[in-house]
Amino acid sequence: MTIKPIPGTASTLPYMLALDFSAISMTDDEFVTFCCNNGDLRFEMTANRELIIMPPAHSDTAWKEGRLFLQVANWADIDGTGLAFSASAGFSFPNGSMKAPDACWILRERWNALEQAEQARFAPICPDFVIELRSRTDSLVYVQEKMDEYIENGVRLGLLVDPAQQRVHVYRPGETVTILDHPDAVSCDPELSGFKLDLRDIWRPVGS
Amino acid sequence: MTIKPVPDTASTLPYMLALDFSAISMTDDELVQFCTDNGPLRFEMTAKRELIIMPPEGMETGSNNATILQRLANWTEQDGTGIAFGPSAGFTLPNGSMKAADACWILRERWNALSQDEKRRFSHITPDFVVELRSESDLLGHLLEKMEEYIENGVRLGWLIDPRQRRVYIYRPGEAVEVLDDPAAVSGDPELPGFTLDLLEIWG
Repeated sequence: MTIKPIPGTASTLPYMLALDFSAISMTDDEFVTFCCNNGDLRFEMTANRELIIMPPAHSDTAWKEGRLFLQVANWADIDGTGLAFSASAGFSFPNGSMKAPDACWILRERWNALEQAEQARFAPICPDFVIELRSRTDSLVYVQEKMDEYIENGVRLGLLVDPAQQRVHVYRPGETVTILDHPDAVSCDPELSGFKLDLRDIWRPVGS
Repeated sequence: MTIKPVPDTASTLPYMLALDFSAISMTDDELVQFCTDNGPLRFEMTAKRELIIMPPEGMETGSNNATILQRLANWTEQDGTGIAFGPSAGFTLPNGSMKAADACWILRERWNALSQDEKRRFSHITPDFVVELRSESDLLGHLLEKMEEYIENGVRLGWLIDPRQRRVYIYRPGEAVEVLDDPAAVSGDPELPGFTLDLLEIWG
């Protein structure tokens, strides 16, 4: 007999769940296959080997996530110096964690320095630019700590977009965090030259 | 920096969650340690290497579980031929799955045949008798399949107690499932000679 996958589990997981994975020795390849085998859920691994299990994003949050990625990708196409990635891309960070930012961008020359096999897994590279969109169920402190961790691992510009408080927190290495209240747009110069992230869609209810 | 455990996750997990673990090779000892490290949650592993993550139970289910275990343990002491276990005891079935029944009982001579080391882990032994109590978050279909799996792996008597429907499903190898509607009690004869569980206190 087989126990069938339990219906509705992915969509009924209301918050993220953290599991201590420190006891389990696991190769990178095993972890990649594990994540693929559980495609309904999204995963990250912290530096302390906690597996973070996230439910699928709520529809409106996912739409906003898409709007953010779209702008980065469109700018990246015109600019040509780097590649944009959406939320399904996982990266292995220097501190041993695996994260999937909601949108990110990597300089082309850094990406091309990776081996083909590394590009085909959770690539061991820290993005140059990341965006995290706070979802309804994310605690602000949790996302803030994640942003700190990005910067400690080499991200050059990080934006925490918080629709609940209508704020953008701007992170750069060696600088204090700048908080912008309800900005129409945020300039990503000089790291992404000429890129302005338009936020008006993010502050409005989806479809209005 | 450290990411703190996400607050309240255990208590907000409403249903069980199944994760395909087939890609990860893991020793028995690693599984034991993993379960210990994630204490507030309860785990089982299916034969297909799906890790089942279960939320803590509601108080009412917990209380009913305690009553059932108390009755079984009291009878076990008087009878003397076996040992009773509660829901925290995980055991490994011949098909490779790791399960934890709400209550179970194993003949003493079979238990004593295990090595000391084996007894401390998710022992490779099939209980002679298992009880599953359906909680608010349990899907009936999942439990019915679990009971079948118990019997296929050597359990001699299995009870599935469903307070929501006031029903008891009785499983024995080679026999059709017997369903009792709103019974006042259920008897464990002949596998557990003389053991009768009063159900009126469970139905409430």
